[in-house]
Amino acid sequence: MFGYYVKLAARSLRRNPGITSLMVLAIALGIAVCVITLTVYHGMSSNPLWWKNDRVYAVTLDSWDPEEPADDKHPDLPPPQLTWRDAEAVTASGIPLRAVRMFKGFGVVSSDAAGSVRPENAIVRVTSADFFGLFDVPFRHGGGWKAAADSGPEPVAVLSRETNERFFGGANSVGRTIRWDDRAFRVVGVLDDWHPAPNFYDLNNGAFDEPEAMYVPIGWAPVLELKSAGNTNCWKPEEIKTYADFMASECIWLQAWVELPDSAARVRMQGWLDNYVATERKSGRFQRPDNNRLTPVDQWLRDNDVVGNDNRMLIALAFAFLSVCLINTVGLLLAKFLGSASITGVRRALGASRRQVFLQHLAEAGLLAGVGAGLGVLLSLLGLYGLRAMYASPWGGVTSVMHVNAWSLAVTVALAVGAALAAGLYPAWRIGRLAPSVYLKSQ
Amino acid sequence: MLAMRHISKVFRTDLIETHALRDFSLEVAEGEFVAVTGPSGSGKTTFLNVAGLLEGFDSGTYLLDGVDTSGLADDARSRLRNEKIGFIFQSFNLIPDLDIFDNVDVPLRYRRMKAAERRERIASALDLVGLASRAHHLPSQLSGGQQQRVAIARAIAGDPKFLLADEPTGNLDSLMARQVMDLLEQINEMGTTIVLVTHDPELARRAQRNVQIVDGQVSDFRPYEPHARPAPMAAAATA
Amino acid sequence: MNVQEIRPILSALLRNRTGAVLVALQVAIALAVLVNAVYVVKQRVDKIGRPTGIDVENIFVVTSAGFGAGYDHSATVRDDLAWLRGLPGVRAAALSSGVPLSGGGSSNTVYKTPEVKGEGTPVNYFLVDEQGVDALGTRLVAGRAFRADEILPEDPTYHEPMPSMIVTRALARALFGTDDAVGKVGYDGLGRPITVIGVIDHMQGSWVDWDKLDYVGLLPRRAFGPRATYLVRTAPGQRDALMKLAEGHLSASNPKRMIQHVRALDYYRDRSYRSDRNMAIFLVVVTVLLACVTALGIFALATFNVSVRTRQIGTRRAVGARRADVVRYFMVENWLITTAGVLLGAALALAVGYSLSRAYQLPRLDLYYLVGGVVALWALGQAAAWQPARRAARISPAVATRTV
Repeated sequence: MFGYYVKLAARSLRRNPGITSLMVLAIALGIAVCVITLTVYHGMSSNPLWWKNDRVYAVTLDSWDPEEPADDKHPDLPPPQLTWRDAEAVTASGIPLRAVRMFKGFGVVSSDAAGSVRPENAIVRVTSADFFGLFDVPFRHGGGWKAAADSGPEPVAVLSRETNERFFGGANSVGRTIRWDDRAFRVVGVLDDWHPAPNFYDLNNGAFDEPEAMYVPIGWAPVLELKSAGNTNCWKPEEIKTYADFMASECIWLQAWVELPDSAARVRMQGWLDNYVATERKSGRFQRPDNNRLTPVDQWLRDNDVVGNDNRMLIALAFAFLSVCLINTVGLLLAKFLGSASITGVRRALGASRRQVFLQHLAEAGLLAGVGAGLGVLLSLLGLYGLRAMYASPWGGVTSVMHVNAWSLAVTVALAVGAALAAGLYPAWRIGRLAPSVYLKSQ
Repeated sequence: MLAMRHISKVFRTDLIETHALRDFSLEVAEGEFVAVTGPSGSGKTTFLNVAGLLEGFDSGTYLLDGVDTSGLADDARSRLRNEKIGFIFQSFNLIPDLDIFDNVDVPLRYRRMKAAERRERIASALDLVGLASRAHHLPSQLSGGQQQRVAIARAIAGDPKFLLADEPTGNLDSLMARQVMDLLEQINEMGTTIVLVTHDPELARRAQRNVQIVDGQVSDFRPYEPHARPAPMAAAATA
Repeated sequence: MNVQEIRPILSALLRNRTGAVLVALQVAIALAVLVNAVYVVKQRVDKIGRPTGIDVENIFVVTSAGFGAGYDHSATVRDDLAWLRGLPGVRAAALSSGVPLSGGGSSNTVYKTPEVKGEGTPVNYFLVDEQGVDALGTRLVAGRAFRADEILPEDPTYHEPMPSMIVTRALARALFGTDDAVGKVGYDGLGRPITVIGVIDHMQGSWVDWDKLDYVGLLPRRAFGPRATYLVRTAPGQRDALMKLAEGHLSASNPKRMIQHVRALDYYRDRSYRSDRNMAIFLVVVTVLLACVTALGIFALATFNVSVRTRQIGTRRAVGARRADVVRYFMVENWLITTAGVLLGAALALAVGYSLSRAYQLPRLDLYYLVGGVVALWALGQAAAWQPARRAARISPAVATRTV
């Protein structure tokens, strides 16, 4: 029977090609616009470390100006970064399974080996040994460095896959030398593809910032007197003449992350933070109310407005558009079904039940939605392709979330089924309810 | 075959009540060919709709082939229509998108028959009306008389016991009308009960019995007398 | 049209209302989207089109990064600037600590009194040399630009005092309450005085989304190395050729550094406004599509209605309706449906506008937009119904006597 309904539906749809293509196009456009905006929204708001959401936390403390909050737009939040000494204390607390303090550095990366390869001015993350384990960073060759290399500090480096590609042609470069501002570092590890989007662990310069070319131990910061290539924010008027002054200052410029395997560890860490702030307060620091936070990644992304108002507005717009497309289709289907009511009446007279008439018309709506959804997927592919061109950047950036993936295909299917039901149910029900003699009378 | 007793049907609007049928009683025996006549507005159409199970009624009883139809749900009525009744309309009511074959197929589809059986029945029904060679033409490619013959084929393909014909020749010229009536008689002779609704006394005369509806009632109701006028089919049936 | 004419149309509509309700709903949503989308697009277009105060079209930016032992930053900068300034077609070239409109920059707080009390004024500052004002193409309205002899040496500690400053008029007003700020003194976080020596008419700073984008101050100091950013202003029409020339020469002139980028300033500006521009494009595209879908929906439904009512229309014609009467019947019917839609849509548009103004801290939706939207949708509805109405008018009165 199902095959018969589909055959009848196809025949009916072919009868008014203009109306049919209008309905298909409307459904396809509605679905495409929704899939595009939802894909981007989903990609932007997705948690790249979801499997560790109950273990990995950003550490923030409110060390800011007693007179005003760090961010007017979020007065309840502590500043997003830590001072050097607070970050150092957090990582030295001994409570977390893993703890990372870090900042975004920069410099010219070059290699003797490659000879002709042009040096590159690149982002270099200055970070702790635990970085790779805490964020589950995949390695292609070698691995991270030992904790001892942080304090040494030892001239060791981990390269991104792209940097290794550029300077060593993709070969296993572990043990070879890479130069950072003309200083020799020994390669200990090469990453596999790793481009978390959004780059949740450092959102200071946008959630889709240029990725790091290289990672070096945090201990190099005081030795080389490194400054952040990201944000450094200071609120306190204080004498900063030397790098030591800077390290002791209230300027915030480091990100701190901890891995706490269970809630007991979490409670202990929170207690440690509160205690630490209380102690520091005695020496005149932390004059704002206690606001010591351990924030899981998903909340961190929300706190930092990774998904902006624009994205939310686009989602609302997309659904408004889809609803107009569907209402349009409902109206046209209804008009069409009622227009052929006399034929339906003949079928009823010949013994079709209400259910059979309903199913036959639902099949027509379903076929329409199916074709619309197929076209919608094509349109969304095109649309995402166009968006990638509009947002193109040298390192991919936000375009990395503009792909049709399993998730957006699932959304498409759900939308298509929803669209078919939404657009088909009412007209099919209406036509099923009419008494057969009423249609025949219209002859 | 068909027994309506004391049927009444009222159409109500906010202002008026119209008694389309009142205390309407009619019996049609198996194998009969009955013509129902009456002036327009007499309740002919309502009778047709009630007899064809297209509409319900307010009181009385209606037995179709022994089945009491009062209070039946829509689904059951649909099944009865499909299995026991064949419809023939004045304006043929062929489905314009479907070819002849598929048109005859429609009631069989709703009976969920196997494809092979459907094919066989369609072929024999089209054979009977003499249109087997036109199976894959569209209705619009046929003359009016041919279209009505297709409609007849569609009505009998499901082997119903009872054909309900509503002015079947009303849209046809006299030659074609004669062919259609011949066909109906032929079908009646094969054992199918036929009720013909018409306003044309000429046509009504070809039936074995005439029933006139006036003001929603049968004006000359007579109970069926089995042996008073033996139907030709009785011989065929016993042969 | 008058009430006598509308009443039968309205009652016919009410008797068969599902299709009309659906069209009215579409019109309502379309109006709410249209009005707010146009409003948001207008805001974005205005934002992108704000005057920069900078000669954006004729400026390019060179970023250089020194590395390795033996890199001499001062000498490199001196040589680079000398070469750039010597190029025919170059109006001015300056070393700068940042690129305006690029999304990256520095800011600090300036106070009104040496006691550093109360709220300070944030200043988006650029360290520039004596050609800074000229290289930006900003217009000095009072005081003077920096002299070569007052440009201070590099200061990687950010700690040394700043004796003088050139400010935008907006900053002068914020700091001193007057445009006439030459000679006025502000104070840094440690209470050290900074004297205003010049006022520029207008200049946009680093962050296009900042509400104090024009709180810009120029400070006379060499930006420290090993990275250097040069702002180069050229004669009109010569920028692109000079960029090529500069990239070729500077890339080869010194092996101890690399030229990272040679880019036009409008590259940075466009990048900063990209999300605004794309948002505007997206809104326009979806809104136009929405209007098209709505119009086609009205059109298709009207066409259907005409075909269903063929006999009725024929009868009307048979009893004496003129073609114009038939056309008017359908146009009035459409107008009634659209009007129901815009009434609902106006409420919806105001609600959406209210939530948008809260989310974006924008002024409330201007009612002119609503009026414009209503008129636009009326026109859209009438345009979409025109062809079906004309088709209805062509139906022959003979249809009435024809049996189907």
